[in-house]
Amino acid sequence: MDSISPEIICAVATPEGTSALSVIRVSGKGSFQLIEKIMSLKKNRLRGMRRKVGRIFEGGRTVDEVVAVSWPEGKSFTAEEMVEIICHGIPGSVRAIIEILIKEGARRAEPGEFARRAFGNGRLSAVQIIALAALWDTEKDRSVFTGETEKNCRKLMREIEKAREMIEGNIEFGETHLNEEDESIQNVFTELMTSAKDFREEAASIEKSSRVMIMGPINSGKSTLFNVLTGKSGALVSDEPGTTRDGSSCFLEVRGRRIQLCDTAGNDGIGLDRTASEAVINGLHGTDRIIWMSEGGRTAPTEKIREKAGEIIEIAAKSDLKNKPETEQILNVSSVSGEGIEELREIISRVPGSMSLSCAAKRIEESVKESYNFISLKEYDLAAELLSEAEIEARRIIGRGENIQLSVERALAGMCVGK
Amino acid sequence: MKEEWDVIVIGGGHAGIEAALAARRTGCSVVLISANTRRIGEMSCNPAIGGIAKGTIVREIDALDGSMARSADATRLHFRMLNRRKGPAVWGPRVQSDAAEYARAQQLCIGNNRIEILEDEVTALEGSTAKVAGVRCRKNGSIKGKTVVIAAGTFLKGRLFRGDEHWKGGRIGDISADSLEKDLVKRMFHVERFKTGTPSRIVRNTVKIEELEVQESEKTNFTFSYGKSPIPENEEVCYVTYTNRRTMDIAKENLHRSPLLAGRIEGTGPRYCPSFEDKVVKFPERLSHKIYVEPMGYRSRHFYLNGLSSSLPREAQEKMARSLPGFERAEISDYGYAVEYSYLHFAEMDATLRLRRTDNVFAAGQICGTSGYEEAAGLGLIAGANAGRFAKNLEPLRLSRMDAYIGVMIDDIVSKGADEPYRMFSSRAENRLHLRQDNADRRLYRTGNRFGILSEVKKKLLAGNIEEADTIRKILETETVNGIQMSKWCRRPGISIGSVIKEANSLVDKDEGVLTSVLLDEKYSGYIERNLRRSESKKNLEKISLRDIPSYMKIDEICWEAREVLERERPETLARAEKIPGIRPTDLQGLLIYLGRKRSTWNNSSGGEAQ
Ligand SMILES: Cc1cc2nc3c(=O)[nH]c(=O)nc-3n(C[C@H](O)[C@H](O)[C@H](O)COP(=O)(O)OP(=O)(O)OC[C@H]3O[C@@H](n4cnc5c(N)ncnc54)[C@H](O)[C@@H]3O)c2cc1C
Repeated sequence: MDSISPEIICAVATPEGTSALSVIRVSGKGSFQLIEKIMSLKKNRLRGMRRKVGRIFEGGRTVDEVVAVSWPEGKSFTAEEMVEIICHGIPGSVRAIIEILIKEGARRAEPGEFARRAFGNGRLSAVQIIALAALWDTEKDRSVFTGETEKNCRKLMREIEKAREMIEGNIEFGETHLNEEDESIQNVFTELMTSAKDFREEAASIEKSSRVMIMGPINSGKSTLFNVLTGKSGALVSDEPGTTRDGSSCFLEVRGRRIQLCDTAGNDGIGLDRTASEAVINGLHGTDRIIWMSEGGRTAPTEKIREKAGEIIEIAAKSDLKNKPETEQILNVSSVSGEGIEELREIISRVPGSMSLSCAAKRIEESVKESYNFISLKEYDLAAELLSEAEIEARRIIGRGENIQLSVERALAGMCVGK
Repeated sequence: MKEEWDVIVIGGGHAGIEAALAARRTGCSVVLISANTRRIGEMSCNPAIGGIAKGTIVREIDALDGSMARSADATRLHFRMLNRRKGPAVWGPRVQSDAAEYARAQQLCIGNNRIEILEDEVTALEGSTAKVAGVRCRKNGSIKGKTVVIAAGTFLKGRLFRGDEHWKGGRIGDISADSLEKDLVKRMFHVERFKTGTPSRIVRNTVKIEELEVQESEKTNFTFSYGKSPIPENEEVCYVTYTNRRTMDIAKENLHRSPLLAGRIEGTGPRYCPSFEDKVVKFPERLSHKIYVEPMGYRSRHFYLNGLSSSLPREAQEKMARSLPGFERAEISDYGYAVEYSYLHFAEMDATLRLRRTDNVFAAGQICGTSGYEEAAGLGLIAGANAGRFAKNLEPLRLSRMDAYIGVMIDDIVSKGADEPYRMFSSRAENRLHLRQDNADRRLYRTGNRFGILSEVKKKLLAGNIEEADTIRKILETETVNGIQMSKWCRRPGISIGSVIKEANSLVDKDEGVLTSVLLDEKYSGYIERNLRRSESKKNLEKISLRDIPSYMKIDEICWEAREVLERERPETLARAEKIPGIRPTDLQGLLIYLGRKRSTWNNSSGGEAQ
């Protein structure tokens, strides 16, 4: 056991239940050795890109007859040593195989962990992660492949680069060489503006709507607020049953932005039983914003919530009851008198903030447009500046996604086990 | 002769001159050694100073009290503000000077500043490489110095080529510094080869100038120097002509005789200032190239053919020149040629231009891998100042990329190097909107003052400009136009300095240059701030502490190997983490994401730099 480091993860990648076949994914350094061991294969049989038919034994007894497909480091989905075990889709034997793997040193993968590793190892770019998540997103009716969005982003980036090179060329050499470039700059921009618009639309379509969750101690008025926000002026889009286990959630449009608002039953770790509370907190991964409400703003969110959540909007509820908080950081809200509701709506409409793919795509489009404006004003310096902004933005989208961390996180969080 | 000099400068080119002057301004005793003192300050190639980005460097040199700007102003015959119609951040002032007068003006500067001039060839450094004791000269023997600045230009093992002819030299008519190069190589400095070239000079009265397009000098009172040097009365026009099919054909027919293409030159040439035969090979679709015909001086007998640099054989050069309209009977006075020379590999220098393997030797100018007078002068100034400060035991001067083109240049050449002679372009500066020619005085005053390289006169002048700018800014902040704060109002496109003055009477008597410059600050301020933020966040890698991370083993965002390494090494900051072998950029990103989430700042719509 010592020879296998605990980094190996495993999970069933196919749906639960009985089926002809199931696939178990195993990833991490030492995966080959581990599978070779449980299949009683000779050493290094799985090295490289191999396919081996064999049996998995436990205590001399055959658990299942399987096919193991191996991918070496750098060539697999996660960029790590990886094996996919194709076994029979019998829940009992699938479970048994997983247990054997765990006994031999692997650990159960978290949801989206394979994709996270792929991202962490530079195998998948930020935009690919988002596109990958969108594939499984039932909210949308789409049939794109993960590579498509990235390809379009790359194309957009190349066009931005080309336009910028032309402008830079004109700045550096326009005076000393024959000047015939103005017209071609126009042409390049016409194309570029279409691409930027297309990409913005594509980004919006693969991105999930933002999620805002209302939390706070029991009886702080969460449900009333939820009703005020969703019922009155926020147009109700649809009910979505089953997204949260212990509350209701609905999609609404706030000032033109599509937002998923979730209500949770009282949650301070006191009002709920432990497991339910834990579940809510764990579900926070990928939530864009939390509205934390307590009477008079007197109860602060717990460390655990702070740790898991993104930004927290703290509000003092029932401000009509003279529960004014001392600090100005906390917004006074009363679902009864309506105090603070418009401000809150304004804040919510700005979610998910700047760190989402759709916002980044929109920034690119705006920069490109503005750049073009400057070309017509003959301010090439600013035209180039704006293109370089757009270029940085695009480069990050197809790279590590520093500018769209929120979308990346949300995409990873929304993935199922085995992905 | 002194027993020991504070600073010894090898070379009297554009780099050596600024180095000697800057070292002198730090209060050091300086000797400048040049193989041919009559040619100190000579323009080896074209008789012009400035241009896009280069012109801004000249103004930066002036803000740091160098002499290039003043000498260029004093000897100017022709002026143009390049890119005038492309946005003020990329304006490039350029003058054509009287080449001989320019060199004389620079020599005068040296003489007036009590810098000792010694005519000799430096053949070697003296003492150990780690701590050099001085230099050895061919005639004068050994000369002791606390620090040495090497500014040997194109002279290190310089080889000149023209067609099948080739000979030794750093420039036509000059020596080649073979011994010094040999000494540097012997001391294990890594040198490589570059090449560059120059066009032929034409006898003026053999050209039918009436057939050429005329380009007049702009009427302006612009000067490179912030000190407003008087503008000389002498003026010249320059001319424009175009190459044609025949010029191209002649070049093509003779390509096999080009020393570069025939393999005699191995060094890489400048991509952006190529010889005409290079252009023919690289842009075969271009049938015509613009050639500027520039007088070498006031009423000079020689024209310089800007754009027709060549090292083809004499007959070919002559035929090429004569293929130009108006040049049918042109006589060549000096033929073009190429020079191949050694330069120092970038890894040899640090950001203060000190050679890393020594304590007290600095490098400047073309031997750093650059090309161009302005680039050389900018490097010279910094190397000289730092040599001086080293001799005085003072902290060295560094310019940041965000503050000056000279900073961008040094950072580029010492961190990346170049695979061709490095020439300054405005697009190399990420903070270009701030690095303008109009504000170099205000950008660099504090640095110049703090590092003690400004004369009293300069100090007063620049401080005055800063004060003036402050007053103007205050007015812009308090006055309003139609209820809008003036500083915001003037950011709108199309607002001219005239319309601003009309709105605020108190601006009428303000210095026009400073006022324009402050208005441009306002115009670009949003973008500049964003650039600074971005560069800060890069710098922040150093500031991001990793001390509070309880355990790396649970951070999903980084790969397993990295978790183990980080757990073992426990780096203090993200910048340290970056240096640990085995930590990849993706892991750093992962850490950032992790820290970002922990601190709940990453989806804060008001703070991130991504907006
Ligand atoms: C033929 C030619 C063509 C060029 N073409 C271009 C061009 O197309 N575009 C462009 O941008 N730039 C061009 N230049 C480059 C431009 O001239 C240089 O970039 C600039 O002059 C470099 O300045 P510097 O001070 O580094 O060196 P230089 O001006 O070369 O000066 C070197 C000085 O060092 C002295 N020296 C060298 N070795 C010793 C020694 N051992 N002992 C004593 N003294 C020594 C020399 O006498 C000289 O005074 C060309 C230069 C030449 C020679």
